[in-house]
Amino acid sequence: MTTRSDVLVWAQGVVKRKAAPAHQLLEIAADASLDDAQEAFHKIARVAHPDLHRATLAADELELVTTAYARAAAAYQELRNQRSPSRVRTARESDPGPRVLPPTVQVPYSAAPNKAVTVPDAAPSNSAQAMNSKALVYYRKAELCLRRGELTGAVLQLKLAIASDPRSTLLRSALAEVEAEILKLR
Amino acid sequence: MSVALGIDLGTTNSVAAIATPTGVEFILGARGERVHPSVVAFPASGGVVAGTDAKRYRLSEPHNVIHSAKRFIGQNMRAPLVQLALTGVRYNVVEGQNQQPIVALRDRRMTMPEISSHVLLHLKRAAERQLGTQVKDAVITVPANFTDAQRQATKEAGRLAGLEVLRLINEPTAAALAYGFGRDRNQIIAVFDFGGGTFDVSILKINGEVFEVLASEGDFFLGGDDLDRAVAEYLAAECQRSLGVDPRPHAGLMMKLMMGAEAIKIHLSDNDAAEGEIEGLDLPTGVGKLGFAMTRAQLDDLIAGYVQRTMNVTRMVLAAADIDPHMVSEVLCVGGSTRIPLVRRRLAEIFAREPNIAINPDEVVAQGAAIQAGSLTGNLSAGTGVAARDAVATVGHSPLARGGVTLPEIAARRPVLMDVNPATLSIHTAGGYIERLLDKNAPIPIERTRIFTTSRDNQTRVEIDCCRGEARRYTENEPLGTLLLDGLAPKPRGDLKIEVQFRVDADGILHVRASDQTSGRHQEATLQVIGAPVDKP
Repeated sequence: MTTRSDVLVWAQGVVKRKAAPAHQLLEIAADASLDDAQEAFHKIARVAHPDLHRATLAADELELVTTAYARAAAAYQELRNQRSPSRVRTARESDPGPRVLPPTVQVPYSAAPNKAVTVPDAAPSNSAQAMNSKALVYYRKAELCLRRGELTGAVLQLKLAIASDPRSTLLRSALAEVEAEILKLR
Repeated sequence: MSVALGIDLGTTNSVAAIATPTGVEFILGARGERVHPSVVAFPASGGVVAGTDAKRYRLSEPHNVIHSAKRFIGQNMRAPLVQLALTGVRYNVVEGQNQQPIVALRDRRMTMPEISSHVLLHLKRAAERQLGTQVKDAVITVPANFTDAQRQATKEAGRLAGLEVLRLINEPTAAALAYGFGRDRNQIIAVFDFGGGTFDVSILKINGEVFEVLASEGDFFLGGDDLDRAVAEYLAAECQRSLGVDPRPHAGLMMKLMMGAEAIKIHLSDNDAAEGEIEGLDLPTGVGKLGFAMTRAQLDDLIAGYVQRTMNVTRMVLAAADIDPHMVSEVLCVGGSTRIPLVRRRLAEIFAREPNIAINPDEVVAQGAAIQAGSLTGNLSAGTGVAARDAVATVGHSPLARGGVTLPEIAARRPVLMDVNPATLSIHTAGGYIERLLDKNAPIPIERTRIFTTSRDNQTRVEIDCCRGEARRYTENEPLGTLLLDGLAPKPRGDLKIEVQFRVDADGILHVRASDQTSGRHQEATLQVIGAPVDKP
């Protein structure tokens, strides 16, 4: 790894092996010591540190080298964490599954289905908040009916929803729209 | 051929330098001074004055003199430490857009980067005068524990001054570079940086031309100013006892006492006792003077608590780097406060060796920045005969000369700096906990990707809350901002794979990218952090 193209070949190799274990990115044995890992990373830095190439590489090439170097840095950090118990650790790399993001404040799933029949799509993200939870259940069922094209079923569900939350203007306008749709089809 | 300036933008003072073939050349002020106060004055008579000349207005128009801007730059106005720092300034600071602190002065409102840009512009103009060429590029140093927002704000200050900031480097790293470059020795060194306003300590491994920071730790609000305040409090009590006037409510009097305290502290670094009087005190009873007598032991008592804090941090950083004190072969002292004998004595106790004081603690950081600037641009300014003469004194005790290495070798073998990520970066997960993505003290630039998933059925958007800090609960860390990814396909909970990528660039600034593996939608952001500068106040 001495010339410009060698650095690019190395960088492409690292970027391609995204899921490879840390020691492979540093090109050392799986049981290599912390000193070996450090020496390997320093060797990479001497040749491939992006600072050394900012004048000679094109922007996209530099981005590639930076990405590869940044991933090698993460691999080195991972090995450091494994081999030095006193360090503060990040999450174990061998996690069983992905971590769960917190639910968003908004009530999930309120996007309007895009079917032949138009549904009230007035501010879909707010529509769910414009009614109480019981009404929301019926509203969801109405949405399902609409998606299947069962307009009368939707009317029934919407009426049940209105019964649960008589003050919701959104439900009333939704019902009016669906009824208008039925009239049009006749 | 452009010249790249290395700038140590300090809380109280700034230094600028360039790398030349014979060594590092300092940028001199109008009076030949190398150290430029980081002070900007907007005198009532109009105009803007920066540097040494601005300091003159400190007594006559204290409300128009902006100092210590570094304590506020990129900070959230509501942060408790900022509120504390506000008690130490006499100019008016108000809360602006995005909770950033804004200097309000007569009819002007200025952001902190704007204030700092005047200091940088002052240095840039001085450099252009001295070198006779245009200066466009700069490497600016920041404390190792500067946050994302503080780094972005510092870059912004450079941009406002018409400088392209090639790189922000950490101050201790710059010091290590100035010390260790060209020695070709493998060693572990400690850099103890105790300046006017901040304190940090770093452990580095030098391996040929590779400079790897192993760990760095600091206290952002601890510096020589705090020591001055401790001494000034003592003088205030003295004033009340002997003159019967309590100066504490009088800001002007306290300012005078602070200046006196600084002079006493500096005198006691070289002498065992200080005795004299502070004249020109504007007492309610007329102009008076305050006699004082203080021994070094008395001073040590007053500042012992602060010095103890620095030593605690030093022990912490040694532990974080997995280094025993005896493995450290050199302890570098940076920053004016390391001239205090008590500090040096305590450092010698920890490391069982005398700290290295051969380098000039005020100038070594700018030297390192200049070397890095020369290395990044790949060319060295020829410098001028005039200031090179001045530089000789520095080169005399600079390792650059001692090692017999001159800078042109940089072009062939350039130093590789591996700085560290200053704080753990994480994202909020369900249940109020965090998932760490990037460790504190990990080498930068670094990039790491983790897969996350949704917690509710049919969730169509996720908010990715990013934070920095070492606590396990999200709310106990410092929030950095939120990235929104929407338009997700409705799926049962846990089915979506959301890839979150964190990258910290070589300047220490975080870039976040989130993408939905199924739909391929992605969102990208350099976080707009609370307190960070926005376009206009």
